Amino acid sequence: MTRIHVPFLTRLVMWLRLFAVQGSWNYEILLGNGIGFCAEPALRLLPGGRGGDQYRRALARQSRYFNAHPYLASVAVGALTRAELEGVNPAKIERFRTALAGPLGSVGDRLVWSGWLPLCSLVALLAYGLGGTAGAVVALFLLTYNAGHVALRAWGLKVGFSRGTEVAKSLGSPILRRAPEWIDRAGALLAGIAVPTAVERAVGIGGEASAASIGAVLVGGVVLARIPNTSVGWRLALGILSLIVLYAVLV
Amino acid sequence: MSVLELLPIALLGAVCGLDFVSFPQAMISRPIVGATAGGAIMGSAPQGLLVGVVLELLALDTRPFGASRYPEWGTAGVTGGAVFAAVGATRPGSLAVAVFVSLVTAMLSGSSMIALRKLIGARASAVRELIDAGSERAVVGLQVFGLTADLARGFLLTLLAVALAVPLARGTVAIWGLPATFSNAAVIGLAGAVAGGSLWKFFTTGTRTGWLFLAGLVIGLGVVAVQ
Amino acid sequence: MPIVLHRIDDRLIHGQVVVGWGRPLGVGFIALVDDTVAASDWEQELYRMGVPPEMTVYFADAETAARRHAEWESDPRPGIVLTADIETMARLAERAPVAAVNLGGIHHRAGRTQRLQYVFLTPEEERGLRALAEKGVTVSAQDVPGGKPVPLADLL
Repeated sequence: MTRIHVPFLTRLVMWLRLFAVQGSWNYEILLGNGIGFCAEPALRLLPGGRGGDQYRRALARQSRYFNAHPYLASVAVGALTRAELEGVNPAKIERFRTALAGPLGSVGDRLVWSGWLPLCSLVALLAYGLGGTAGAVVALFLLTYNAGHVALRAWGLKVGFSRGTEVAKSLGSPILRRAPEWIDRAGALLAGIAVPTAVERAVGIGGEASAASIGAVLVGGVVLARIPNTSVGWRLALGILSLIVLYAVLV
Repeated sequence: MSVLELLPIALLGAVCGLDFVSFPQAMISRPIVGATAGGAIMGSAPQGLLVGVVLELLALDTRPFGASRYPEWGTAGVTGGAVFAAVGATRPGSLAVAVFVSLVTAMLSGSSMIALRKLIGARASAVRELIDAGSERAVVGLQVFGLTADLARGFLLTLLAVALAVPLARGTVAIWGLPATFSNAAVIGLAGAVAGGSLWKFFTTGTRTGWLFLAGLVIGLGVVAVQ
Repeated sequence: MPIVLHRIDDRLIHGQVVVGWGRPLGVGFIALVDDTVAASDWEQELYRMGVPPEMTVYFADAETAARRHAEWESDPRPGIVLTADIETMARLAERAPVAAVNLGGIHHRAGRTQRLQYVFLTPEEERGLRALAEKGVTVSAQDVPGGKPVPLADLL
């Protein structure tokens, strides 16, 4: 295997471009073009240079259909770039690309969209419930969330580069495999504390009215939990709210 | 509202809307951030935060994957926070109206995401041959096109939403016939119930963390009782 | 516990399958049916990374899958059978009892026409789906449990 060297500046540009990897998300190639866009700076290192024959073929290959979690797309960009620079045969790159997409999506969905994001959101709600100021709540949320987010993108690009087509081994690290479970547990405990405290402070009247609203929240929560589908709650809220607005205007 | 008042709000909406999917996904598009910032621009960050908390509770029920159609919270949060602060937190009904306006914006904005994706798709098809030939210009160009279109989407959407919603909200609040305590508690309670129900479902299906949620609930209710 | 879902999805194992369907259905195993993947260790290693530690993935080509189908059906855990294309599912359905097929995602490629946001089909693939339906298999498209199922008749 040839040793590849990607200059620091190139890696930095790629890492920065990764924040815009979903910039051209569409129903036909999803974030495919974004992968090409992020890999492009390193492809200039191919024999023939920028605009050369190899560069153009590699860029075209990398800009086809791709789907993954946006943060973990960094792993794909690193690994695929390395495979291109090592001159791995195109047919294998195509298969590698296909096989990489799904698992990266799955790991990212579990780790970030249904793990880290709701956890950080609950941390912010709890901070609010315990009396945090606007600045403190927002800063706490953004700093906590992005500590994970920014690190994940950087880590992904790094392991992608260092492992290339062997990247599955890094994704299989016990930390990454177990993290969703730990985040789930922390989230479950936090959810129970954060929701009533946030509701209590938001209602902000204390005494019986506060107790009544918390009670209503518990009863409503139990009822809503019986609806099997997800993502219907906010629509239901919109419906009920429309009725409240209508009633308040007409009485 | 004057154009000079609307402009910073629309710019904030553009930035938060762009963050939702395109760039940089740092979650400034979460309503707890967007609404607080929207409120701050209109003169009251704490009022923005209150709307942000209500919307954040509702947003816990939606996750940014899996569904083909989901609410876009970036522009919606900014709109809600701005409308609430503009109408005035002390007026009965202002919170309910701000949250209502915000949810409608989230829904419309969600649909605008679909239109945006179709627009980018059409553009991608138009430059397909160039991309397949490995043209750097075409690849980078498509990316820049998508980012610019998304930024414009958020800007226009927030501009329209706030421009229409503020007078509408003022009018509604002027004839609001329910006491402030009741309407606020109803809106917040509704959001809390949606969040609670959704989280309970989430922590009891496929994982065995339901008991941790219940333990948390006991602690949470204890904290509330002490406060 | 029967197999709870027979799904055609060119992404094979990804978030919609593992979290979207897997979590509410309490899925304990995924049978990934694909001739190429069944013969490739490094691809299997990658797909295995996509599932939580408590979920098992079985890899099989269409022939083996047809043989093991009954065994999967009698597994105590709910399971999902996944193929990347219509042809593999059709081959499986010829040799094993498949009552319903879920179209979860077939994406853009030259020659395919868009039918839904997540379904693009070539004329040949359309014929393949019709042939499946004629054999009594219920075919419908649905990306996630919360989404609306679209029957084949409305799709084509």
